[in-house]
Amino acid sequence: MRAWQVLPTVCALALLTGCKVSTPNRFERTFLEAVKHDITVRNKSEKNPMSFTKENFAAGKEAYGHYCVVCHGLDGQSTGVPFANQMSPPLPSLASAEVQSYTDGQLKWIIDNGISPSGMPASKGTLSDDEIWSIVIFLRHLPPAGSLGEPEVYNH
Amino acid sequence: MKHRFFLRTLMAVAFGAILCVPTTWAAQSQPQQIEIVAKRFEYMPSVITLKEGVPVVLMLTSKDVAHGLKFKELGLNIKAKKGTTSKITFTPEKTGTFVGECSVFCGSGHGSMKLTLRVTE
Repeated sequence: MRAWQVLPTVCALALLTGCKVSTPNRFERTFLEAVKHDITVRNKSEKNPMSFTKENFAAGKEAYGHYCVVCHGLDGQSTGVPFANQMSPPLPSLASAEVQSYTDGQLKWIIDNGISPSGMPASKGTLSDDEIWSIVIFLRHLPPAGSLGEPEVYNH
Repeated sequence: MKHRFFLRTLMAVAFGAILCVPTTWAAQSQPQQIEIVAKRFEYMPSVITLKEGVPVVLMLTSKDVAHGLKFKELGLNIKAKKGTTSKITFTPEKTGTFVGECSVFCGSGHGSMKLTLRVTE
């Protein structure tokens, strides 16, 4: 990097670092969504080796329940999650078109690697491949919003 | 006198034999026990080898938190609570290499906790 490029780069990075949480505007949302869907989130063509069965769905629901519920709620739609709208970017509903338009391979990639900048952690090693693929099945068949109540952790 | 001593000795030997024989038979008919210790985030041993068609008792002991061991392909799942041992009798019906994973969420390395099972002819 040349010397004259350093200052603008540092300024640009500073603008993105440590800022107050705010709701992204329409341009930011559209831009970030396009970048994630088409550039940064990979694995678009990988197919889920597991098919939808009662057992795989139940396994996915169980694996999702290990800790995804803390942010995404029992229903994947942030029901009862007190900070869902106070993050930047806000937690998306996993039933939304924004999330559901990812391919299965991309959903697996996101769970494996997380997404930066956001609160989405990388789960590779914490969850097994089978567990993650089964979670993808659960995400494709989410229950109606609010139908499962709130995560227990927020009921105390 | 000698005759009585001989009879007593004979009875003692016979009694001993009666006690020993069933134990020996029982020992021979008991399946081999395989002890597996699970702790965050590994199994010890991490590789076990079994013979096809020979029943074994898998004993899973958890040293820290609850753990499990699941072989999806073999339809085998055993779980052990913290500090306890669970047993399951298992007869490998097919040869090959199978990877078992922890079936009870146990923390940050849960997904990398694996045990390799080799079944030979």
